[in-house]
Amino acid sequence: MSRRLPTPPIPAGGRLLDARLSLLDRQVLDVDGEPVGVVDDLELSDPQAGVLPDDAVAPVVRHLVHGPVVLDRITGGRHPRAHFERIEWAAVAEIGPALRLAVGSSRVPVGWLEDWLARNVVARIPGGRHVPR
Amino acid sequence: MKRLFAVALGVLTAIGGFLDIGDIVTNAVVGSRFGWSLAWVVVLGVAGICVFAHMAGKVAAVSGRATFEVIRERLGPRMALANLAASFLINLLTLTAEVGGIALALELASSVHYLLWIPIAAFAVWLVIWRVGFDVMENVTGLVGLLLVGFAVALFLLGPDWGQLGQQALQQVPADESPATYWFYAVALFGAALTPYEVFFFSSGAVEEGWTVKDLAHSRLNVLVGFPLGGLLSLAIAGCAAVVLLPRGIQVSSLSQVLLPVAEAGGRLLLVAVILGVVAATFGAALETTLSAGYTLAQFFGWTWGKFRAPARAARFHVTMMACLVVGLGVLATGVDPVMVTEVSVVFSAAALPLTYLPILIVANDPDYMGRHVNGRWLNAAGQAYFGVILVVSVAAIPLLVATGVGR
Repeated sequence: MSRRLPTPPIPAGGRLLDARLSLLDRQVLDVDGEPVGVVDDLELSDPQAGVLPDDAVAPVVRHLVHGPVVLDRITGGRHPRAHFERIEWAAVAEIGPALRLAVGSSRVPVGWLEDWLARNVVARIPGGRHVPR
Repeated sequence: MKRLFAVALGVLTAIGGFLDIGDIVTNAVVGSRFGWSLAWVVVLGVAGICVFAHMAGKVAAVSGRATFEVIRERLGPRMALANLAASFLINLLTLTAEVGGIALALELASSVHYLLWIPIAAFAVWLVIWRVGFDVMENVTGLVGLLLVGFAVALFLLGPDWGQLGQQALQQVPADESPATYWFYAVALFGAALTPYEVFFFSSGAVEEGWTVKDLAHSRLNVLVGFPLGGLLSLAIAGCAAVVLLPRGIQVSSLSQVLLPVAEAGGRLLLVAVILGVVAATFGAALETTLSAGYTLAQFFGWTWGKFRAPARAARFHVTMMACLVVGLGVLATGVDPVMVTEVSVVFSAAALPLTYLPILIVANDPDYMGRHVNGRWLNAAGQAYFGVILVVSVAAIPLLVATGVGR
């Protein structure tokens, strides 16, 4: 990465964000403020292969990806794409210290573990369905 | 009137909840060997936890983000995972020490062997986390923990030679101790006062209680008044040991020795009160460390967490905490001395401090998170000065632990 990147164009009426800084590893909250995960990775539209010509179409963010895919960023390797838990970029309503979605958490895929533990362990212990008071 | 009551309650629970098994044991050990000559470390440590907790609470109140969310976001997954592994294991060690502390205190109260109390203590901790609301939990353990004021009462009843205590506070290494052990205990005391779980818990608690910018003044009061008064209790514990145990050459190696001066000064009644205070303080800290285990993991991975949800709505969070209690139980069941676990845990806490401190310091200065509530000039000066201190302590901790053989 020794080559200096060209200065990015300032988007008209928009915000300029560094995806690494302002998107990756931020908490994702649903429309009610419930946590649904962390932005573990981003799925971009495929950029063209090889050296990009100056007038190449810039890739866009298609999905936020969360779940075990974070292990790829820690240890390397690659999860099969079929296993990604994706949130559509269009569902993102607000970018700040956390990313807020415009949809409820029921419309976001969450890994099987939470569901399985909730149903088979936690809900079976007396009081598991009640808010502590 | 209602508001005044809420403010008083906050300060009182901050005092009563300030001490845990690490503070109690370390201060007594230090008092019995060095008198008040390490009192300056308590002052330094308490001021440090004030700065640290205030920043973490402010970040949580303004941005709604708890400490480990911030750590993950600032350090990236790889560094944050290394941080998580260290913080989580040390927290588990502290959790083990606290559960052992409850059992030891109950043994003193009942003459039933502490190993029999351990499963009961762990189960009670779990039950409170499972069923009792956050406010009730904090207020009850904090208020009963205030009974530790009995240490201060005992110190006055002992009628110590204040001039001599003052002299100890000003003098440095006592003649019959090596500088290495002196500095080892300096690090241990600092780690006991400034334990990472306190910050995980404080910031996550701010989210549990739904703090906003409006609650900042209240939280600042709790920290700036409650913590220093809690620190005075630390000094009282060390003072009691300095007056009763030091002249007789008794080195504290068990909880009963910590309480010996109380029994001597105030008789049975005061002793009962203080034992109850120790049970409440260690129980409160066991709750806080158990919750911190869940908080750190949940915040790193973005799971749902918090006591304001039904457990079934935060299943991974609750299962994590159950697993941690079981592990702590298993460690204690081997018969390892809980006092020893405590002494080791405070030193490792000191070693791990920069891992949690630095990300909070950075974010407390980030206008994206904090808007106009970024650190002011004085808070920043204090925050950065303490980062220097924490770094030195952290680097020195493990070598001193090894060199002195845990202060022997």
